Amino acid sequence: MECYSLKQSDVPALIDHLGAYGEVIAPHRKGDVSYSFEPVKDSEKVVLEYNRTLLPLKKCFLPPTEKLMDFSLKDMSYKPTEVPIKPAVYFGIHSYEMQSILRLDHSMLSGKAESNYFNRRKKSRFIGVSFSPDEYHFSESVGISIEEMEGFDLYLNKVSDDYQLYIISDKGKDLLKGFDKLIQAEPIHVEGREFNKKIRYHYNRLPRVFQYAYHSKVWAEVAERCVGCGSCNLTCPTCFCFDVNDQVEVTAEDGMRRRSWDSCMLSTFAEVAGGENFREHTLNRTRHRLYRKFKYITDEEGLPWCVGCGRCTAFCPADISMVDIINDLIREDEKAQFHKTVRV
Amino acid sequence: MKPKVAFFDFTSCEGCQLNKLNLENDLLDILKHVEIVEFREAMDDKADAYDIAFIEGSISSPSCVERIHDIRRRSKILVALGSCAVNGGVNAMKNLQPIDEVRETVYGEDKYLFATLPAMSVSSIVKVDYEVRGCPMTQQDFLKLLVSLVLGKQAPRYDSPVCVECKLSENECLYNRGMVCLGPITRGGCDAICPSFGQFCTGCRGLLDEPNYIGMLEVMTNHGISLDEAKKRMLLFNSNEVQL
Ligand code: SF4
Ligand code: SF4
Ligand code: SF4
Ligand code: SF4
Repeated sequence: MECYSLKQSDVPALIDHLGAYGEVIAPHRKGDVSYSFEPVKDSEKVVLEYNRTLLPLKKCFLPPTEKLMDFSLKDMSYKPTEVPIKPAVYFGIHSYEMQSILRLDHSMLSGKAESNYFNRRKKSRFIGVSFSPDEYHFSESVGISIEEMEGFDLYLNKVSDDYQLYIISDKGKDLLKGFDKLIQAEPIHVEGREFNKKIRYHYNRLPRVFQYAYHSKVWAEVAERCVGCGSCNLTCPTCFCFDVNDQVEVTAEDGMRRRSWDSCMLSTFAEVAGGENFREHTLNRTRHRLYRKFKYITDEEGLPWCVGCGRCTAFCPADISMVDIINDLIREDEKAQFHKTVRV
Repeated sequence: MKPKVAFFDFTSCEGCQLNKLNLENDLLDILKHVEIVEFREAMDDKADAYDIAFIEGSISSPSCVERIHDIRRRSKILVALGSCAVNGGVNAMKNLQPIDEVRETVYGEDKYLFATLPAMSVSSIVKVDYEVRGCPMTQQDFLKLLVSLVLGKQAPRYDSPVCVECKLSENECLYNRGMVCLGPITRGGCDAICPSFGQFCTGCRGLLDEPNYIGMLEVMTNHGISLDEAKKRMLLFNSNEVQL
């Protein structure tokens, strides 16, 4: 892999250079203590040292709210929204975020591809950046290291005050054509970027833990504290559920159909015609949320469907921690195993 | 024939009615679909029967009870408009105090001249078919309901918490900014307008069905306010709903 060194002070020049390919989207400051992915207007405003953005990068490919079609009740006609295929560079992306896009690709593109998502995704390029894990990141526990480069075209690794830039794909190489601020370098291994939050087991062992956790007492304990706000799903980069609704103008003639992100933590998510609700209690919903991340899809795909970004925990008003729940399940499982052994 | 529509006000500030009068841009479109036959704020005409009756305000005296029964009898569809009508709204704070004290504070020596009842939602007296929430209700919500009634479609229903729209707008959560917000257990539909402008949600659209009160109080007290203050915040718009 080709490796170059890049001065911190030359990062804005790199961003400007990438602008020749298409719109550049990168992390920016937002509010008092937060960050969000925004289109770059001034490359000096891009923040490369950030913990996590409020909404995941998913928002660029599967927007929080999106118009699917306009329709007319006069002649019963409709016009689907055309999503143009535009080149875009996603700059300053953490490895777990990239992994979430790859998982989302699987959800949205396998079988019959979702055309809006496909069009937004088609000409996208990704430039990764390393990060220092905070008290919520746990991606290593789900098999994603800080320097995982799968999916990226280029990757920036922070080495003391400057960066090392790796060229990962031919597309990445093309992006750099004509950029002259790079100096060939030997890759340096960075030490000391440790994860503070850890799942006690290797993720390979989790499906087994979950297999026996369905009737665990842990679910009720979590449900007691959960206020059902849905923030955990709504900020999760691998959740893809949406709701569709129609809105008619005051003229009662024209209208539009929209879709918005939905959340399986909301009490109405599993409500069906006739008022029946097949996940009526918070307990059922919390359990379902975790099973979606560590059992149901994992059984099919062999990978955890959680990338360890820590958003669901960092943005939960009730401080409910994904890792703590899993470690509680593990502890309970160990206890059960122990009792079984003792009995034998 | 155009449906006959009427508006009535009970115990309220009439802010919801005024909000409708501000609909200038859409008013002509609305009048294409409905005929307004009673509207105290804007006209004097009266009719005997209504296709849709919109009710603003809470029920708080024996005469209110009589009047709402009468309106219900003459209306095909009855809609509660705004917090006061939907769940008693801020008026219902009076229910938290001994009724005699309340009367004395308001009417002084003349308190026996005015019969009073606890402030109640319209639905606690008569059947309510639809509701438009908020203090005041928003024009958009009112229009959406009216359009669906005219088209004979299912009325829009908001039963997700304020947090949903707040997250979709990518707001920084007020809990991360050292504030305390009622968004998690409050019914949305307002586009999270208060948190979007940096103001915490006070719960004006009423609470979700079966909210986790204890969990919510714990969240609020863990974020720096006293249990007393947390309860007061919860009661402000929802004295008739909160069961603590
Ligand atoms: S963010 Fe927390 S409180 Fe809200 S639904 Fe998720 S677990 Fe429950
Ligand atoms: S479940 Fe939580 S930690 Fe895992 S990807 Fe979703 S938001 Fe991130
Ligand atoms: S600011 Fe309030 S409404 Fe918005 S996410 Fe936070 S708690 Fe929910
Ligand atoms: S954010 Fe809360 S207080 Fe503000 S309008 Fe919405 S429901 Fe009412």
